[in-house]
Amino acid sequence: MDFAPVIEGFEVVLQPQNFLFCIIGVLVGMVIGVLPGLGPAATIAILLPMTYGMEPVTAIIMLAGIFYGAIYGGTVTAVLLKLPGETSSAITALDGYPMGQKGQAGKALGIGAIASFIGGTIAIIALTFVAPIIAGWALRFGPPEYAALTLLGILLVATISNGTMLKALVAAALGLLFAVVGRDAFTGELRYTAGNLELSDGLQFVPIAMGVFGLAEILYNLEKRHLAQPKPIKVDKVLPNKADLKQSAGPIARGGVLGFFLGILPGGGATVSSMVSYGMEKRLSKDPKRFGKGAIEGVAGPETANNAAATSSFIPLLTLGIPANATMAVMFGALMIQGIAPGPQLVDTNPELFWGVVNSMYIGNLILIILAIPLIGLFVRILYVRSTILAPITLLIVCMGAFTISNRFFEVMVVIVFGVLGYLMKKFGFDPAPLVLAFVLGSLLEDNFRRSLMMFQGDVSRVSERPITLTLLSVFVLVLILPLVFKIVAHRKGADSLLDVVAGETTQQDSSQENTAESRSHHTETEEKDTAATASGEPQKKPPAKPDR
Amino acid sequence: MFWSSITRKTTAVSALTGLLLISACGNVTTGGNGNNGDDNGEDYPTQAIRLTVGQDAGGSTDLIARAVANGSQGVWGVPMTVENQPGANGAIATQEVANRNPDGYELVLLNASLITITSMVVPESEQVTLDDLDIIAGLSQDDYILIANADSELDTLDDMLNADRTIDFGTTGVGTAAQLAMLVLIAETGIDGNEVPFDSGSPALTAVMGNQVEVATVQVGEAMPQIEAGTVKPILLFSDDRIDYLPDVPTAVEEGYDVPVSQYRALAMPAGAPDHVLETLEEGLQEIFATEDYQQFNEDNFLTPHEISGEQVREEWTDLAEHYAQLVDEHGINLGGDN
Repeated sequence: MDFAPVIEGFEVVLQPQNFLFCIIGVLVGMVIGVLPGLGPAATIAILLPMTYGMEPVTAIIMLAGIFYGAIYGGTVTAVLLKLPGETSSAITALDGYPMGQKGQAGKALGIGAIASFIGGTIAIIALTFVAPIIAGWALRFGPPEYAALTLLGILLVATISNGTMLKALVAAALGLLFAVVGRDAFTGELRYTAGNLELSDGLQFVPIAMGVFGLAEILYNLEKRHLAQPKPIKVDKVLPNKADLKQSAGPIARGGVLGFFLGILPGGGATVSSMVSYGMEKRLSKDPKRFGKGAIEGVAGPETANNAAATSSFIPLLTLGIPANATMAVMFGALMIQGIAPGPQLVDTNPELFWGVVNSMYIGNLILIILAIPLIGLFVRILYVRSTILAPITLLIVCMGAFTISNRFFEVMVVIVFGVLGYLMKKFGFDPAPLVLAFVLGSLLEDNFRRSLMMFQGDVSRVSERPITLTLLSVFVLVLILPLVFKIVAHRKGADSLLDVVAGETTQQDSSQENTAESRSHHTETEEKDTAATASGEPQKKPPAKPDR
Repeated sequence: MFWSSITRKTTAVSALTGLLLISACGNVTTGGNGNNGDDNGEDYPTQAIRLTVGQDAGGSTDLIARAVANGSQGVWGVPMTVENQPGANGAIATQEVANRNPDGYELVLLNASLITITSMVVPESEQVTLDDLDIIAGLSQDDYILIANADSELDTLDDMLNADRTIDFGTTGVGTAAQLAMLVLIAETGIDGNEVPFDSGSPALTAVMGNQVEVATVQVGEAMPQIEAGTVKPILLFSDDRIDYLPDVPTAVEEGYDVPVSQYRALAMPAGAPDHVLETLEEGLQEIFATEDYQQFNEDNFLTPHEISGEQVREEWTDLAEHYAQLVDEHGINLGGDN
């Protein structure tokens, strides 16, 4: 390929004014992204008017900077206050928040920043070299492929909860039910809206996540304070050390590659990436019980995947003219305002814009990590604030964040209702994570499955015409069966009676996924002894001896 | 350090509270002005005008609103702030603005499809009528185009008629103008089509590019970059007349099919505004229409100006609603929904 335009792109970015706006963008994005409810899409939309008077390249560079900054800002609130601003940071909250409660907020935020940087960089390098080649590949992802991918995602996150299987299933079923609310996308029928116009577009992710995670946490802590005076959280100012980095290296590498590929897919891909990464790390982990209690891999993997996906989601926009998600749709609008129609010809007609944006990503990511690391020390001090002060302020921010979603009070009500629901769930031992994840994946699966059936005119066997779908479904089956195979192998090595294994296997084959997961949790019980130390939060120098497999 | 973190946090909070307060104050003073608007009528406008948009930021409706708002300072000497209140194709935002004070400081950007098509799909309680609104002026026309994958053997409507097989077609979702156009065309021509609804224009366009479906009807503005790049082929326009941006593409009407479907947009405010306010807004809008910036905006976004008076908008939209209802009835088309 011809590298001259790439180099010229760097010259564009390093022009003082473009460089300056890149920094401003990252900083503003980070500050605004810290406010929950204001995800990257909303932040960019709000700041869009600032770009009217700018050169197109400068404008898009600044907006891209806001984008990266806002994504990292969401991580900060997810870790410190359990307030996820978007789908990907909801995953970060699962382990990031427990880390913060154990005094390791600095570690969580540090690894988040490092993971973001590496994820972004992996994706940019890949983008620079292969963007035009793989962009066309993304187009082959139609509804059947999305349905299969989502199915795989659901399988991977099915084990995301640490509570009992039954309670996790109840929470997931609730999530699926909430996803159903609103106008049916295929028949126009209104479902469970109770005649309320506000509900006709369905419930939104952000208010639900802010409710069952953030608000529920505030309510629950309030109750705890009445029962016993809480001891203040000890906040270690430590950043991730060598051992942490070593532990995170695998998740970061896997998350980066995963995020890059899923991010390219127009629609849904980036949403699933952090979840798939989390599910994958938990499955690969030697002691999955640690997840949900502050496992650093549970922050590192999804954060990398999330940032890699965010970066690679620029590929369909810049090379095909397709906005891959809500944020890219706003970017599309910003380019249209500048009189530039993003499309397949952009790289030929506006090479300085194309490469300027791509190269601004290198700089933007670098600026992000340079700004983020020193600020961590500042951010974690939020945890020093007494909850009598912090809780009301957080509540206020939550309500404002919810209001800004659509400038209506309705979303604030949704946050409150789901906050109460989340509090009750927590009180009765239900983990809200399956609810939130089922909500996201459920509607993706329903829409794409039904759309696929319409494409196939009801003939499911036509799935044989779609190699990608078949491959994904094969992976699905493999992920389902492999743990069983491993189990057999483990039993053989353990010189267990072969008969027992075979008998156990046949019963499992008869029943479905549920049984598999149960057997898995049974399997992990044997490891519980080893993981107890980790779960109680003691820093570990070396992983415990592997159980004999 | 401890205090610095607190101050930072509270600074952010108070900054935001401040913003909210400012907008709240805006409402209060707005109300005040409306009440004694008749006394110092010549003064309108004296403060920022709020333009509510019932669609997400960044979409074509929002961009049009922002293009109009951009001209406000120069024409009326006050800024116009655009506020997005997405939901139910703009029904929520429109109903809310209709209930506000008709003092000229509360405007709403209307999509014709909300009045002409959505009303056929939603229950009566959700239907929005023009009765509660004063329409200031029509803005522009956004046309729909039938496109096919570049590798498809279908180049013209005739090819589709003679295809002698089932053609998979994408729509932009239930109850949208693009779906109506497509379904009426299929019904009138007798083409053997298989409908696959997508969430909006962009995924439908993507599906055609990736040959997930062979054809789809989307907005011209969305399709143009792809048409220019040759990734999709234009087949048929649903506008009354051919448009300047694609002079060689025939319209359904000239091919002999009664499918005139376009998206129109207009600027409106709550009914009952004082005459001088309405006049000020009407005159100012004409000035904005005449600016080079605004005309360039239309051109960049492939919009055809349709700058007609409020009365004409009311007539045209009412006629369209009747016409569409009749077409749907005649062909037994199900746009979805209970009604």
